[in-house]
Amino acid sequence: MNTGRQMTLEAPSIYQPIMLSILEITSMTEMEKVFTIELPFPTSLEHRPGQFVQVSVLGVGEAPISISSSPSRSKSSFELCVRRAGALTNALHALNPGDVVGVRGPFGRGFPIERFRGKDILFAPGGLGLAPLRSVINEVLDDRSNYGRIIILYGAGQPVEMLFQDELQEWAMREDVELHLTVDKPDKKWKGNVGVITTLFSDIQVSPRNTVAITCGPPVMYRFVLMELLGMGLPEGNIWLSLERRMKCGVGKCGHCQMDHMYVCQDGPAFSYAEIRHLEEAL
Amino acid sequence: MIAKILPKHALQNWIETLREHYRIIGPKLAQSQFIFGDIHSADELDLSYPTTILPPKKVLLPQREDLFHFDATGDTHIVEPTFDDEPTVILGIHACDMHSITLLDRVFERGTADQHYQTRRENTTLVSLECIKSCSEYSFCKSMGTLSIPEDFDLHITDLGDEYLLEIGSNKGVSLLWNFNEVREATDADFERLNKVMSEKWSHFTYRVDFDITELPALLSLSYDSKVWEELGDRCLACGACNIVCPTCYCFDVRDEVDFSLCSGGRFRVWDSCQLDRFAVVAGGHDFRDARAARQRHRFFRKGKYLTEKYGVVGCVGCGRCAQACLVHISPVDIFNELHRRRVPSAATQEEILA
Amino acid sequence: MSSTKPKIAFFDFAGCEGCQLTVLDSLQTHTELLNAVEIVQFREAMSERNDDYQIALVEGSYTRPSDEVRLQAIRDQAQIVITLGACAHLGGVNAVRNAHRLEEIKRYVYGEKAEVYEAASARPISDFIQVDAFIPGCPIDREEFVRAVKSLLQGNLPDIPDYPVCVECKLRETGCVFLYGKTCLGPITRAGCGAICPSFGVGCEGCRGLIPNPNMASLREVLSENGLDEMRVKAKMSLFLTNQIATSDMEA
Repeated sequence: MNTGRQMTLEAPSIYQPIMLSILEITSMTEMEKVFTIELPFPTSLEHRPGQFVQVSVLGVGEAPISISSSPSRSKSSFELCVRRAGALTNALHALNPGDVVGVRGPFGRGFPIERFRGKDILFAPGGLGLAPLRSVINEVLDDRSNYGRIIILYGAGQPVEMLFQDELQEWAMREDVELHLTVDKPDKKWKGNVGVITTLFSDIQVSPRNTVAITCGPPVMYRFVLMELLGMGLPEGNIWLSLERRMKCGVGKCGHCQMDHMYVCQDGPAFSYAEIRHLEEAL
Repeated sequence: MIAKILPKHALQNWIETLREHYRIIGPKLAQSQFIFGDIHSADELDLSYPTTILPPKKVLLPQREDLFHFDATGDTHIVEPTFDDEPTVILGIHACDMHSITLLDRVFERGTADQHYQTRRENTTLVSLECIKSCSEYSFCKSMGTLSIPEDFDLHITDLGDEYLLEIGSNKGVSLLWNFNEVREATDADFERLNKVMSEKWSHFTYRVDFDITELPALLSLSYDSKVWEELGDRCLACGACNIVCPTCYCFDVRDEVDFSLCSGGRFRVWDSCQLDRFAVVAGGHDFRDARAARQRHRFFRKGKYLTEKYGVVGCVGCGRCAQACLVHISPVDIFNELHRRRVPSAATQEEILA
Repeated sequence: MSSTKPKIAFFDFAGCEGCQLTVLDSLQTHTELLNAVEIVQFREAMSERNDDYQIALVEGSYTRPSDEVRLQAIRDQAQIVITLGACAHLGGVNAVRNAHRLEEIKRYVYGEKAEVYEAASARPISDFIQVDAFIPGCPIDREEFVRAVKSLLQGNLPDIPDYPVCVECKLRETGCVFLYGKTCLGPITRAGCGAICPSFGVGCEGCRGLIPNPNMASLREVLSENGLDEMRVKAKMSLFLTNQIATSDMEA
């Protein structure tokens, strides 16, 4: 059951953002910045990994952005990893620490991680897809003993486009995390795998029935990753995805995120493949 | 049943009385077509109107609606939501449009309630009108089961000739007759007249859909991959008119505007259409419904299946506005019948089987 | 948001200067514009001229080879180039002449002196230099221009609608002109004008250009069904859309 709606439920209008300060802005790559947003007491986010917020710059607009920090690490602040891709995200990138952004949410259904306890988890984010999955990864790592193997296969275009590089290094150092990286276009320093994310799958062996896979990436990636996961024998219900749509309301009214009969903002954005397999408009 | 009788000549006085407390919206002529607009006197109101360009939905969910104003010129950012609570009466709503309001009420109430819609809805009194003859060659309400008025009217008008019979459906409806002494109680004779009107009206409407409409969701389920959608996609201009004029379309876009300080302004929503190019596009530019065929299918699935399954009422109320607005003659009646024809073996074949 | 005002310059090529007049008009109705930007060059309105600008607003279409040099200079100086109006965006009404042989046109217009004048087919500015955004219309819409300036001040390019005029017609409950026996390019034409022509009972002539994915074949059928023969369809589509509709499509 989703309880994390504190901020929006208390507002007189569901479309009214609450204004929160930016504590810190970290440039990740040329295109992506991570914004740490302050949650002054008693404001709480109480999100689940995989949920999103609607972020506003007043006068420019609003866009859905997935929450990048895990609930375990979002007590007095939370993080959003934002790619510069349009008017709103341009405006966000022009802001400085101390500036204020509007936030509504959290919205949607996150990943049901309690159901993943005891299982091996295979994360397969591509590019910006690491942003929402990082929330799940850290949540799981902060409750490490309750899960089996943690495998992370991360693909990016170029080494400089890799997000959360500090954390990637931390995960690489951990004995209880199996991290595999790949890039499409290596630079001179790159010593790792070269190729799209699916080229990493041959490196790993999993026990299909005891493994949950979670993937998120650009629309073109899903088909190929799904082929690999299904090929490994993972049941459709064990494969989870986070889908991207341009929600305008976040509460199942505006219609923009509808795919067939489902609303990504309500029924997702986290879906098991079993739930969306039959929907032509999903992927 | 509580009912009153309003002589037609008293309509003007009634409207004047109402105008002291309410904004009155009703069908009136604009250029050469009818629209729901502000009514200042009975002369403007035409209760024998054919269908309007836009449905009365526009009163409850305006084409453009402010959501909040903001002012960030000072140290604190002020965000002030805006609600329209002006007491309003919509006069003369046809049965189809009443059914659409039933649907909109559920959409904006269920799940997370939309306070902007609800505020307007709570302050709006619905005066429906008994449809006695078909209002447009395009309408097909009888087929959709929406020719009978749903029960959530506040006041319901039936034209008895020289008088109107007013059925009272709620306290809001009672309020409209408060302190107005030109109405009288309806008598048994009046109810007899009402019964006569009601029994005679059905023959003035025809069934235009060739099958029982409760089969529509199932028919659509079977028709997801039908060639019909491709054919529609070839014809469709993707002009969005069908969505804009539809009483059960409620999708919207949200936009901001600012003054030259760039620090104060507002956020508002405007009607949107799933037939348009940007509707299902995400930040990277990928369009999740880029073919006109898929957009038309989505539209008809929403009307005939998704909304029905989610909200328990019909998603197409048979008003015919989309068919009237469509320059390439895409009509729900034709589509539903065509889907049915392609699914069901022809009569000849059945006879052959039986023989 | 920068504290210094952006420097804006206006340039005119072949056109009636009606878009610049609309800008002047908007300066009168929105005087805040003058505080928000610094206009350094605007022949229509002032005699000073300064070539230190960040935003170039270009009106009019390319019509002669020497225009290219001037355009390149504008592109080299400006950080942002925005076209103003149908001539700059589409070639405008000027492009009607593209359907004829250039020599014939020159002789028709200039007579004996045809050889003295320089001419080429009328083309959109974006055929010669990279254009960052366009403000469409003949003339431009005053409110859209003001919104565009605000977007620029916010650091974004103007957001021009890409849905058709029909949407705005229906939103304002204008009766469809097809019902009155007229024809209209509204279904394939970019909105943003508030459907002003149909609201006065006149069919859309397409001055704001095509929407990104117009269904031309289907619109042709609609026009023909409503009494336009092939020649008149072609004429209607060449008033503003000559450069947007491929010759093959024109004759289809």
